[in-house]
Amino acid sequence: MQLTIITDLNKCVGCKSCQVSCKEHNTAGAFGPVPDNDPYRDPDGMWWNRIVGMETGEYPNAGVLYLPKACMHCYDAPCVPVCPTGASYKRQDNGVVLVDYDSCIGCQLCMWACPYGVREFDEEHGVVKKCTMCIDRLEDESLPDYERQPACVQSCPTHARTFGDLDDPESKVSQLVAQRQGFGLLPELGARPAVHYLPRRPAPVVIDEKDVLRVMEERY
Amino acid sequence: MRPTTPLLLITVLQGLSGGITLAIAAFSFLLPPASDSILRNALLLSFAIAVIGGISSFFHMHRPQAGKYILRRLKTSWLSREALTTGIYAMILGVVALGPLVLPVNSWWYWVGGVLASIAALAAMFVTAMLYATIPAMRSWHSPLTVLSMMAVGLSSGGYAMLALLGESHLAAAVHRLAIFMLLATIVVAGVKLLQWKLFRDARRSLNAATGTGMPRAPYRIIDTGTTRPPYHTQTQVWPDLPVSLRGGLEAVVVLTMVLLPLGVIVATLDGTGAGLLTVLGAISFLFGTFVERWLFFGDATHSSKVWFVDQEKVGSRVATNRPSPALVHRFRNM
Repeated sequence: MQLTIITDLNKCVGCKSCQVSCKEHNTAGAFGPVPDNDPYRDPDGMWWNRIVGMETGEYPNAGVLYLPKACMHCYDAPCVPVCPTGASYKRQDNGVVLVDYDSCIGCQLCMWACPYGVREFDEEHGVVKKCTMCIDRLEDESLPDYERQPACVQSCPTHARTFGDLDDPESKVSQLVAQRQGFGLLPELGARPAVHYLPRRPAPVVIDEKDVLRVMEERY
Repeated sequence: MRPTTPLLLITVLQGLSGGITLAIAAFSFLLPPASDSILRNALLLSFAIAVIGGISSFFHMHRPQAGKYILRRLKTSWLSREALTTGIYAMILGVVALGPLVLPVNSWWYWVGGVLASIAALAAMFVTAMLYATIPAMRSWHSPLTVLSMMAVGLSSGGYAMLALLGESHLAAAVHRLAIFMLLATIVVAGVKLLQWKLFRDARRSLNAATGTGMPRAPYRIIDTGTTRPPYHTQTQVWPDLPVSLRGGLEAVVVLTMVLLPLGVIVATLDGTGAGLLTVLGAISFLFGTFVERWLFFGDATHSSKVWFVDQEKVGSRVATNRPSPALVHRFRNM
């Protein structure tokens, strides 16, 4: 099993609700897992999910692109083998990459090894932190099913984000990646990210057997 | 990435200590013999430098209480291997450097210890260099040049330190042989550094916003880096681009202090006029240059995530104009 989040770049409007809900769910404040020392005057603190905004193309064919960027929970996560204490690890049962704060020495080698720059250093606690894919929600059996998904997925107002198992060919995320040419970032660095993006282009028309039969019947 | 003092101290001092140890080994086995007391003093100096480097490594750990787990990932982590090899090197060096206080010198343990210390020094320097060279995301470092450069600089800094110790003692034959070796080593260092700076420039130029989207519709320009800004204090793998003048100035300092001044000292030494204080100045100059070179190595490195932090220059609008539009002028004239 490899849990993942797929983001449809056609639907993302850059509202940053996923960024804020991530911080809200994982608790900010001076002593929370996602700390801020001065959140109101200096919002550039720690964020596990950041939305990068870009201008695309050239006038008159210019546009704006938003790229939500959090841990890619890579199949071959480069941050895991470089960690000297084993604090960074990838769970075999669901593929989520996590950090054990108790064994982290704060050397930041994993931050250098991560191609996506999505690990953040907490100077107060002296450890490296990152997106946990809201593992506490996923494994909390007391929550109703619709709540057992990452906060960023649940809060997305345009339903741009989809959560599921990439290793299951029947899952919605697998089908979206297959049908819509989903891609991972910086593939040349060989990390094989699990998190995929759906490119900005019109959604292809899906023709199933019924459509074929109907057209055949109408025309021939 | 952001350079930090502990990182500079660890890497520079480990190279210096390893270089001195290997220079001592060269004198013990290959070069004309130098005075025993000088070699013993050099061993003590090398051990002291290794200890200072080791102490500074604790300051690099932000949670030293978890340091007890550092050897858990020997199979995959170069940092685990670095802790092991550097620790073994310091231990063997400690025995060889401090042993003569209680044990007889020039007996079998001293020579065996010396050989083991030299092998351990070489291993520790190689493993430290591999730690940086095996990170594909650090585009500037992911190259065999990183290993070559760190080893060459480390060995040369040790060689210059040894030359200073011998120069002060006026051992003409030993100084002359070491000076010839250092002449070649300095030329190698200069060549490797020039190639490495070219690699750094290529890495910096090859990464831009278009690389980071996974899509072909270029050009891209970052308008929001995602609620962060220089100096990116929670994201230490990136750092704002160095100003061109600062980079150029520091590179000039490196060339001057690591190549030109030491070469001048070498020429004077070979000429027979430069023993004594001049060799000490050469060693200090090379060590200073090594610190600047290492600061640039960290501060000027390009990480692959720079594609989302890139500080691109703002391009002015191609359609904006100060002239009022003719249609607008016509409308106002007819009012």
